[in-house]
Amino acid sequence: MDTKLTYDQVFMDSFSVSEDQLCADLEYNSIPEWDSVGHMAMIANLEDAFDIIMEMDDIIDFSSYAEGKKILEKYQLIIS
Amino acid sequence: MVLSLNSEQLKEYQPNRYPFLMIDAVTEVEPGKHAKGYKNLSNNEWYFPVHFPKRPNMPGALQLEALAQMLTVAITTQNDLKGSITHALEHKVKFKKEVVPGDCLQIEAFVDSWRRGICEGHAYGYTNGEIACEAKMLITIPEIMEQYLPRK
Repeated sequence: MDTKLTYDQVFMDSFSVSEDQLCADLEYNSIPEWDSVGHMAMIANLEDAFDIIMEMDDIIDFSSYAEGKKILEKYQLIIS
Repeated sequence: MVLSLNSEQLKEYQPNRYPFLMIDAVTEVEPGKHAKGYKNLSNNEWYFPVHFPKRPNMPGALQLEALAQMLTVAITTQNDLKGSITHALEHKVKFKKEVVPGDCLQIEAFVDSWRRGICEGHAYGYTNGEIACEAKMLITIPEIMEQYLPRK
């Protein structure tokens, strides 16, 4: 599995953004689609895509596209 | 575990009250999975005289509310959720026929997923064996969902 491709696709599908919007500026509440409901849907989609169950603290800390990559290392997923 | 709730018992799981309680009884509920029940429509409903004069019809918004309230019961009958208030997040609804005085609106609601305070579900309302309304719904118990949100 190409983890970066999967990670990016989840973001693009969850928030209806294009690939060029996947950058460090993409964070919770930075776009209308990444609201509370969008956040929960994105997390669920990541869990399904990577077959993981994330811990509560990690879901709370998952505040940006960039931060998410660091968090997923905890689940043995290297997004590079 | 399958339960049934009469008109008073269901109030433990559905916090709406007159004039906004849109279900009369829950004939069958499997917590976290589905709930089934009905609402009887009488000439005495507060909205019939105004919606519309000489052609009473249950407002679509209230038909949808009935479906959502039944879905809520499917969720709040789970452990530790009795009395929880749910909020609507997103609904998609179709109305197929009028619901009029004398009808019994049979309602079936199904939980498609329940995860971290958010329920995806769907429901149908029937009168005389035919679908009167149907909806796909997203509802939440905010106190649960909000625990998972980034603090920014």
